[in-house]
Amino acid sequence: MTTSDYVDAGEAVDQGRLSGKVAGGEIAPPVTENLTYERILDARSEPENWLTYYGTYDGQRYSTLDQINTENVSRIGPAWIFQAGVSGIIAGTSTYSFEATPIVVDGVMFLSGWDGWVWALDGRTGKEIWRYKHAVPFDVSLCCGNVNRGVAVASGKVFFVTANAHVIALDAGTGKRVWDKTYGDVRAGESGTLAPIVVKNLVIVGSSGGEFGVRGHLDAFDVETGEHQWRSYMVPKPGEPGSESWPADGEAWARGGGNCWLTGTFDPETNLLYWGTGNPAPDFDGGVREGDNLYTDSIVAIDVDSGQIRWHYQCTPHDVWDYDSMSECILFERDGRKLLAHFDKNGYMFVLDRTNGERVSITPFVDRITWGAISRDGQVVPKIYPEEEGVEVHFYPGPAGAKEWTHAAYSPKTGWFYVPIQDVGATAARRRREFREGIPYWSAGVAVDIEEAVGYLSAFDADGNEKWRWRNELPMCASVLATAGDLVFAGEPSGEFNAYDARTGDLLWQFQCGSGHHSSPVTYAIDGRQYIAVPVGWGGWAEGFLPGMLGAGHGSALIVFALPEQTPSRGDH
Amino acid sequence: MTTLNDRDALLENLGLDAQNKAALGKLLNTGNIAQASEGADGRMKATVRINPDEICWDPSILVLPHGGDLDLELINDDQNTHCALLPSNGDKKFIWLVNHSKGRASLNLDGPGYYWYSSPSGNDEGRGLTAVIVVLGDVPPEARLDRPDQPRPF
Repeated sequence: MTTSDYVDAGEAVDQGRLSGKVAGGEIAPPVTENLTYERILDARSEPENWLTYYGTYDGQRYSTLDQINTENVSRIGPAWIFQAGVSGIIAGTSTYSFEATPIVVDGVMFLSGWDGWVWALDGRTGKEIWRYKHAVPFDVSLCCGNVNRGVAVASGKVFFVTANAHVIALDAGTGKRVWDKTYGDVRAGESGTLAPIVVKNLVIVGSSGGEFGVRGHLDAFDVETGEHQWRSYMVPKPGEPGSESWPADGEAWARGGGNCWLTGTFDPETNLLYWGTGNPAPDFDGGVREGDNLYTDSIVAIDVDSGQIRWHYQCTPHDVWDYDSMSECILFERDGRKLLAHFDKNGYMFVLDRTNGERVSITPFVDRITWGAISRDGQVVPKIYPEEEGVEVHFYPGPAGAKEWTHAAYSPKTGWFYVPIQDVGATAARRRREFREGIPYWSAGVAVDIEEAVGYLSAFDADGNEKWRWRNELPMCASVLATAGDLVFAGEPSGEFNAYDARTGDLLWQFQCGSGHHSSPVTYAIDGRQYIAVPVGWGGWAEGFLPGMLGAGHGSALIVFALPEQTPSRGDH
Repeated sequence: MTTLNDRDALLENLGLDAQNKAALGKLLNTGNIAQASEGADGRMKATVRINPDEICWDPSILVLPHGGDLDLELINDDQNTHCALLPSNGDKKFIWLVNHSKGRASLNLDGPGYYWYSSPSGNDEGRGLTAVIVVLGDVPPEARLDRPDQPRPF
């Protein structure tokens, strides 16, 4: 048979064309063309939209929408469901998780999934407008699951990072690539998992991979061209400020971790980004990195224009428990003072003066803390930690922390913080190992408790006083949303999505979503109708934060709730 | 015990190198390996085919010298219809491959690493039509960490 006998199979087509889900035209309305820095700065004035990862630069995860409130929340139900699904073999098949925050701009939702997926959806119906899929290598090194925490949107573009450490700009109308930059070294074990933040003309991203012994960093790129603007390392080289906190000899600094794997916040008045940094590497063997190990486990204030570090506050000096401080830095004001609140994996709530990093208060927010103690004047006293080779020790909280990466919310209306809490311990024994590039660098055997794992959602005032607590049989492992309807929303690992009275903690509404929650809910409005959206899909690093749920099914749905359409609306926005 | 040199013979003796002998399908990764060629413009070219009754991509491991654009020719010499779902930046690429057909796919991969593809029809994947594209190389110099060279695995 000759070559000419072959049937012409033609050219392979985009899989999305065969999905039956792409809306007519495949073009999103130009809602992001005029999404400028000034508009993002004033995001709270347009509560119908959710314009940044935390909703606003201050990280409060608070919306002034109040159509859904304590009086009527019991009547909300699903308005639409987007089922992402998967086909083909993905990276981290067993550990993918739906951890994103949706972004909503004038009726269009931009959403990322795991394994390089990004979608534009009609925010009213859930209909897919376009989709983008980045090819993610199956062998990419992922510490904690095949996850992505969301996109940033500005100037007609959608920005996101990929598991193989690219930062990509898509055309917000078509989903086509505009620019694509590599900002991490996958051979060294670096990856990308966070949602970018856009400030002025910069899109800013951080690196993941601390468990592989890398040197954590933030990078800034020009929004329009993708040209690299600055890189800020979170572990100083010898001779740089902070390098005295690392061994003078050897290369511990070069493998020191301190990754910026979650999105920071921004204050235009100080012109500072506030970014939490990850654990030092190796996680549990402090003997090879004597010293405080700056700027790991720290809140770091960075000049947004230059990338220069202005101040830092280290929450766990010389960490040997895996207590990243990467989580949110919530900006708020009290008595005219510009403050920052941070709920750390080590179990303590830190309130700092965000103009200079001065300590204001430190308060424990979880019941069981045995690793050590931090006094109110900031003195850290370690008590239990893996020290002797092969000798097991047990401590609370475990390496996932009293609160993992998932976010607390702050309501300016009540003045309270709403915190998802994990009360879980772990047993660890030091197992020293030689560093090898691209190989996990923990230096311990760790088993997280399966029994005795509980959790709660708590409200705290700015002084750290607990105002109410809702107890759960399982740790609370999903971000919280607060609204002006005096509501707090939080999901459970077992699939329930809950609404609470923000003032009393009373459970007012619950919906079983079919898979556990490990994401960040948002709210938005279209034509006066308020929606609550939550990505649902259990998974990720479950062995670290809730091994008792390792057998739970994965999900891949975004579920959007609203009041019935015939309900008269109030407080239209 | 067996050695690397015995591998092909052992697979044949055990009946793991073909469908419906020892197992129902052909064991994954028992096929061939090949390298893509590279043109003067940096675009890469390669051909993969499905031979009659082998239920296996040939090569089943395709190696690219670096990330970039690949022009892939796909040939189905089998007497059954198959298809291919391939990784590419932007969206996955899909093509039907009816009996004795030839098609094309233009892929963009930014490596390094390896990427699975398959024929997602029936359970072609489980029976053997799963293969990988391996992208060699390093990330660009500007993306690498500022630190001394570090020891790599032995």
